Amino acid sequence: MTYKDKLDRILLKVQKPSRYIGGELNSVEKDPEKVTMRFAFCFPDTYDIGMSHLGMKILYSLINDVPGYWCERVYMPLPDMEEQMRRHDILLYGLESLQPIKDADFIGFTLQYELSFSNILAMLDLAGLPVYAKDRPALTPIVCAGGPCVCNAEPIADFVDLCILGEGEEVNLELMRLLERCKAEGTTKHEFLVRAARIEGIYVPSLYEVEYNDDCTIKSITPTEGAPEKVRKRIIKDFDSVFYPDTFVVPFSEIVHDRAVVEVLRGCIRGCRFCQAGYLYRPFREKTVETIEKETISLCESTGYDEVSLTSLSTSDHSEIERMLGTLATYSDAARVNLSLPSLRIDRFSKELVDRIKSVRKSGLTFAPEAGTQRLRDVINKNITEENVMNSCRIAFEGGYSSVKLYFMLGLPDETMEDIDGIADLCQKIIDLFYSIENRPKGGIKISVSLSTFIPKPFTPFQFEPQPTEDVIRERQKHLMEVVNKKRVTVSRSHFDVTHLEAALARGDRRLSAVIYSAWKKGCKLDGWTEYYKYDKWMEAFKECGIDPAFYVNRTRSYDEIMPWEQMDVLVSKEFLIRENKKAHEAVPTPNCRESCAGCGVNRCVGRPCFEYDK
Amino acid sequence: MANTATKNMRIFFSKTGRAIYISHLDLYRLFQRSIKRGKLPVWETEGFNPHVYITFALPLALGTAGVRESLDLKLIEDISREELISRFNDALPRDIRVTDAAEPVMKPTEIALSEYEARFECDNAAFAEFLSSEHIMTEKKTKRGIAELDLKEHLDILERSDGYLRFTFPSGTEFNINAGLLFDAFEKQFGTEIYTLRITRTAIKCRNGEIFH
Ligand code: SF4
Ligand code: SF4
Repeated sequence: MTYKDKLDRILLKVQKPSRYIGGELNSVEKDPEKVTMRFAFCFPDTYDIGMSHLGMKILYSLINDVPGYWCERVYMPLPDMEEQMRRHDILLYGLESLQPIKDADFIGFTLQYELSFSNILAMLDLAGLPVYAKDRPALTPIVCAGGPCVCNAEPIADFVDLCILGEGEEVNLELMRLLERCKAEGTTKHEFLVRAARIEGIYVPSLYEVEYNDDCTIKSITPTEGAPEKVRKRIIKDFDSVFYPDTFVVPFSEIVHDRAVVEVLRGCIRGCRFCQAGYLYRPFREKTVETIEKETISLCESTGYDEVSLTSLSTSDHSEIERMLGTLATYSDAARVNLSLPSLRIDRFSKELVDRIKSVRKSGLTFAPEAGTQRLRDVINKNITEENVMNSCRIAFEGGYSSVKLYFMLGLPDETMEDIDGIADLCQKIIDLFYSIENRPKGGIKISVSLSTFIPKPFTPFQFEPQPTEDVIRERQKHLMEVVNKKRVTVSRSHFDVTHLEAALARGDRRLSAVIYSAWKKGCKLDGWTEYYKYDKWMEAFKECGIDPAFYVNRTRSYDEIMPWEQMDVLVSKEFLIRENKKAHEAVPTPNCRESCAGCGVNRCVGRPCFEYDK
Repeated sequence: MANTATKNMRIFFSKTGRAIYISHLDLYRLFQRSIKRGKLPVWETEGFNPHVYITFALPLALGTAGVRESLDLKLIEDISREELISRFNDALPRDIRVTDAAEPVMKPTEIALSEYEARFECDNAAFAEFLSSEHIMTEKKTKRGIAELDLKEHLDILERSDGYLRFTFPSGTEFNINAGLLFDAFEKQFGTEIYTLRITRTAIKCRNGEIFH
């Protein structure tokens, strides 16, 4: 019985079956006879989430453009589907071939958030493979991981064969060519890994020996067999001409971001000190307006989507944002396509432009001041002033908006109760502003505050900082609820349980592999889903392994401590991170990269300045 | 191109293979996108949120294949039947194929029944016994809640052999029975499982016995 036949037997018994069968518009089918390398690209979360992920779409098209290379999509089935698969002996399969992924050459995971780690184990197991790398002696499949989380891959070091650090557009193909050669030569898996480690951006955890001090901090990380001391992240130098798919797979069912998406720039000039993405994706690179326009048109036409959205860390920072928006609005009007622009800084644009965009899509107004007072915003280097917020709100209220969404973080370094009061004050000022405007929209104003908890991340100036303990966080949350204007403001808080685990995993070391294994054995998976998340099981797992999460979460790390990710080089120097950390404690902001260079080190590696500065 | 409807069209299509798992709502969106993608001259609704206007004659149940399903739309520009078909097919995923297009003759309200073909593997003796029972009771969701329904009353068997059944059930805007209900009822009553059930709607017929077109 073929897999298709087997699937036909179970699919009507599960929710939304179309996400488990492939065959969508623009999905790529190839003749298995002519395929020399099969890459099973796994997103360790459900179809609805994974299908929305841009990085996966890019690499999917890139690999499939190579004759003989076949990239397939694989997602984590929900429990109803998993149960049916296990009952009917269906191993995890690729959506294109409907064949088990254990027979692929590569099984690649993209790791976007720490809470997806347990899904790697769950998916390998569903694929019929041992979860520990050491228990998979054969040359193929090679299990690899990429995405932002691999800047500290240590917690998953025991499960994956290798990691890809940085942007995958070039290195993925290099890796596939190497495996193709090794297969032809009949080398061992070990030989392949040793050779792979010589490719820039490839990290092979098993080639590094880690020694610990008595206090459990790391004593040394030693490369073996010619693996590099430091694994350098890969970056695309010529971003304007980098590969971009001219089409997307269009899902049958509705997914989280069901629209065409165009990446307008990579990196961010701002350097907010808590923001890992801001450091990982340096340097700042942008596409020309012409390229963006071309990609927008091609995507919309080839998918039939009637909505396109621009994406990047900070689209407002594009050097030609006005011209870009004007150009795109002209196209979207003519083609009857909606242009959606998430989190645009509208205070920086002309009234005319704002009107034009608004006419296309009435999306809500959002700001991320992240901290309640200017002092704390200086600590975290978030250069949004109260004046910016007020100006944008005024423009928006006059333009007919009456709801505002504000993002704040709680538990930031050097935070005091005054900063919490500051959040309530800022809300009140926005409310007062609203009622002071004569031609304000009818009805009252609604503010929603989203309060997340600070999570210290590797490769940020706050990698040395502790996350406050549960008591402190709860006390501050409670305080905000007491001081905020509850009539006009609704507050949503992140769950302590979730951020706590995220914080432990984000800065964890190799010893956490045992914890992840044990948690998975206890049934932990789909941790990003409130309904499936089992905090108590995770804490049991920590306990059984004799590891206290506080060691990773609540401890201040000294500048000279060897971090678990010290062998990774994201091109931002540790000296720079220390400098920034010191400035944070003095509440001194750092100018953005366009104003002046703060010397993070990226430009040296790229071999040219990031911007042309006057003088 | 002015958005003025000039001609009604009925598009006939098949939905087979992997596409049988597309729900009716998703199929609606899929066709809207395909029309956009194929730049087909189809009339759009006016107003704040304009969208391509299409209507299906009769929804097809999730999991059932169809070889001559239909949808209606309005053209705003003259385009040959051949071009319409080929542009649709270039824009659609491979398991949905447009097979024909013509000006509509009958109204969807004239539809009375659907003809199905089912291939399956199960205990043949049990299935024969099941079919010959006097009543085949099942529950059916209606607007007013769950109602008892005797499938036997509505079932008309056209042809049968082991693992094969050709039959009709009432269909239409007023009263409709999904083909799958018959096999669900068998599984439930006999406590066994049917393997590899494949149901295809082969025709939609009107009250006067003619094929809907
Ligand atoms: S603006 Fe700040 S928070 Fe946003 S991406 Fe840039 S550095 Fe990160
Ligand atoms: S080298 Fe200078 S300009 Fe470039 S990213 Fe680093 S700090 Fe910014």
